[in-house]
Amino acid sequence: MNKTSWLTKIILVVVLMLFIGLPFLLLVLSSISFGWQWPNILPESFSFRSWEYVLTGSSDTWRAVGFSLLIAVTVTAVNILLAVPAAKSLVRNQLRAKWLFEAIIFAPIVIPPFVAVMGIHLTFLRLGLTETVLGVVLAHLSPTLPYMVRAVVISYNTLSVDWEDQARMLGAGTISRFYHVVLPHIMPGIAAGASLSILISLSQYLITFIIGSGQVVTLPILLFPFISGGDPAIASAYSLLFAGIAILTLLGMDAALKKYYQKKKTATGKA
Amino acid sequence: MNDLRIINIEKKYNSRLPKNDSAFTLQPIGLTIKEGEFFSLLGPSGCGKTTLLKLVAGLIRADGGEIRMDDFDLTAVPPEDRRFAMVFQKSLLFPHMTVEENVAFGLKMQKVSKKMRLDQARNMLEHVGLQGFGFRHPDELSGGQQQRVALARALVAHPRLLLMDEPFSALDPSLREDMRELLRQIQKEFRVTVLFVTHDREEAFYLSDRIGVMSEGELLQVGTAQNLRDHPDTTKVAAFLGLKNLIEGTVTNGYFSSKLEEFEIPVPHLIEEGSCFLILRPEAIQLMPEGVIPGADAMHIRGEIQQLIFNHGFYIGKLKTANHQLECSFSSQQAKNMAAGQMVDLMISLNDIHIVKK
Repeated sequence: MNKTSWLTKIILVVVLMLFIGLPFLLLVLSSISFGWQWPNILPESFSFRSWEYVLTGSSDTWRAVGFSLLIAVTVTAVNILLAVPAAKSLVRNQLRAKWLFEAIIFAPIVIPPFVAVMGIHLTFLRLGLTETVLGVVLAHLSPTLPYMVRAVVISYNTLSVDWEDQARMLGAGTISRFYHVVLPHIMPGIAAGASLSILISLSQYLITFIIGSGQVVTLPILLFPFISGGDPAIASAYSLLFAGIAILTLLGMDAALKKYYQKKKTATGKA
Repeated sequence: MNDLRIINIEKKYNSRLPKNDSAFTLQPIGLTIKEGEFFSLLGPSGCGKTTLLKLVAGLIRADGGEIRMDDFDLTAVPPEDRRFAMVFQKSLLFPHMTVEENVAFGLKMQKVSKKMRLDQARNMLEHVGLQGFGFRHPDELSGGQQQRVALARALVAHPRLLLMDEPFSALDPSLREDMRELLRQIQKEFRVTVLFVTHDREEAFYLSDRIGVMSEGELLQVGTAQNLRDHPDTTKVAAFLGLKNLIEGTVTNGYFSSKLEEFEIPVPHLIEEGSCFLILRPEAIQLMPEGVIPGADAMHIRGEIQQLIFNHGFYIGKLKTANHQLECSFSSQQAKNMAAGQMVDLMISLNDIHIVKK
């Protein structure tokens, strides 16, 4: 019993290393290599040239990181503002054409982004929204909103109207009801949707490239030229940085969520 | 006076599918509930009692009629401003708040200061027998305790009317009795007006000052428990109150004759002629002492005992007469000398029989 559980643990760790650790290791090696060529298994010489280029010097890395995060966070905030009322009406109202609304909201998951973004680009050109952060933020909404709505709808589905009715009978108005009863319940859904929204927005290349027209420079925009033929060492360094930023953002969100619940708990504890 | 007046309130639910003609309609209902009264709506599930309750609460918008209290028209007032409270079938305690905070929620909505509202919440928890439970979270309580907290939470803000929607039906029977007792006590203590919905007639009989019997969206009869039991207006009411021994027949010339031509008895002339039902309450049917001939003021019943069933300290006897199946009750003492298959002579005083219109 004990032996087999040990065995499964070891196998799991090995598999984990193979599928997750190894690619990262290769990226790390590649980023610090200097002329790593076939048939060498390990690079012949090492240099921190690529990291130097990425982190300091003439590159726009930190500006791009800033833009990436600004866009991802704004997109997610707008998504929350749109998704919560949308989820409420989808769940609570007996709409006749509910399937139509759902189809429209979830369409971006099914339709290739390239199709939609061409039309968006044309419209934004007329509106003067191309090459602006605002334009990119708006364009990022279409691939991210469906996930947000989906997550919040699922949370809303598990909240019976009785809870809100109960709060009403205790004298809670619309805002109090939302803040004290609905929000704590749908928070996990919002958090799940927000993680997806942030990750999807961070990794957008095509939409950012077309709508931003190269003027709105996010991390993927910097990264792509190096992958598709430039310098693999620099591409590796950017990839690691990108992964790091994404992981840090998620951890940060997780911590914020935990703090939210802790605040609720301690508030109740002290009371 | 803070009487609650329900004036011709009505509600129609249109079925969405045109084929489905079971669209539910709550017939216009008029009712006055006095301040401090415990009023129960009794009826089978789906009879509209919960709909009526939610109309009073304001959680459902009425199609017509008025809800008044203290001579103010509350019909257009949203539920959160009516100063009513409600206890649902499920306790619906907010899971992310402690018991104390749950109880204090209503006061928090009224912007009562934190110290005051928590003091009052603790005080109210003591009244429902849960002192010291304030810091716990709802999921750490049993079902009965949760429902006590829900009761405390409803009462803490001194509502003008307490609405209860089958609050004990999810609890097991012994707990339900404890809760009934607690509610009765607390209702007396706080003199709160209660509108209580239930399908359990024992519960309604035990708790209520007055009961309204509902069926299929109609309020059939309103009265005290005893009043309803002794003088049901219709067979529907009688049937729902669990009255046994309904015998179909007609009244002509001051005589009731049963459809199956077994019983014929004189009735007071006040009773209208036409088809009707005779009700013989099981507890009013007496064993005829030997050698006694029933007088003109009693009805004689002869039948064969088919079954004797022990029930709460007495026996229910299933009796087969010439054309009817009757139920009567015997004391343990009487049942000792009886056996299935035996013929017995019974009688019932004409004062104890009741005739209702069909």
